[in-house]
Amino acid sequence: MDDDEHARALVDRARDGDDDAARELIRQLYPMVAKIVRGYRPRGAAEEDLSQMIFVKVFQNLAQYSGKVPISHWVSRIAVNTCRNQLTAEKARPELRHADLSEEQAAMLENLATSDEALSPDRKLAARDLVEKLLAMLKPMERLVIDMLYLQERSVAEIQKVTGWTAAAIKIKAFRARQKLRRQIGGLL
Amino acid sequence: MKNREEILDRLFRSAIAPVPPKEMPFGFDTRILALVRASSPNGSPIIALFAQRAAVIALAVIALASVGVYRASTSNDDLPAEYTMADNAIQSSLGE
Repeated sequence: MDDDEHARALVDRARDGDDDAARELIRQLYPMVAKIVRGYRPRGAAEEDLSQMIFVKVFQNLAQYSGKVPISHWVSRIAVNTCRNQLTAEKARPELRHADLSEEQAAMLENLATSDEALSPDRKLAARDLVEKLLAMLKPMERLVIDMLYLQERSVAEIQKVTGWTAAAIKIKAFRARQKLRRQIGGLL
Repeated sequence: MKNREEILDRLFRSAIAPVPPKEMPFGFDTRILALVRASSPNGSPIIALFAQRAAVIALAVIALASVGVYRASTSNDDLPAEYTMADNAIQSSLGE
């Protein structure tokens, strides 16, 4: 029995009220849901609360799952829509200024701008922190696209499967987000 | 100085970190099942099915009982003639 068939069998059992199957389904889907939630980088809502909200929706609507697409795709769309609805009201953070950077982040950015040398582990940590700050200035959907494309290194086709958005919409969001980030970096140098 | 596009790409590449799969928090699954049950008007599907079957059986019993009561009440009016004659005979013999 492959993964998909196994997941489908779990869904059928969970629909019939089998708690063990429902728990197994949650365990299997949790890493994927957590990844999507983290991609949105929620500020107001905690990651765990958002994941909880998503799973409750999944089980409330399990009777509507037709089985035409893999359960992981169906759940990932619920996750994306829940995150989007939850974070729509969240305002983007104000622009980042050079004075907001730590010493390490400023040095790392200088290093990236002037040399081809690979960054040291400390500087990589600073790079991750700076990317977090920069992404916080984007809209939630732009954040998700940038996270999936560049930090999780997923293809546009994969993002399409997860989000249900068209390839054109994904590319436009990525383009706009990169424009904003480029502008921001220009202001930090 | 490199252009901003290049800096942004290098920044992203440097920020990629293998994120270990986050473990499910302890008791998360139990919490989800409890929340789903609490939000469902009929509790678990098994209870809902049981309640549905019980309701159907109760309706059938009520319907049968109603038919029985109706037939019993109407049958008194149509007593066969021989019963009426027998009743009259008994009443007259008791009267004597």
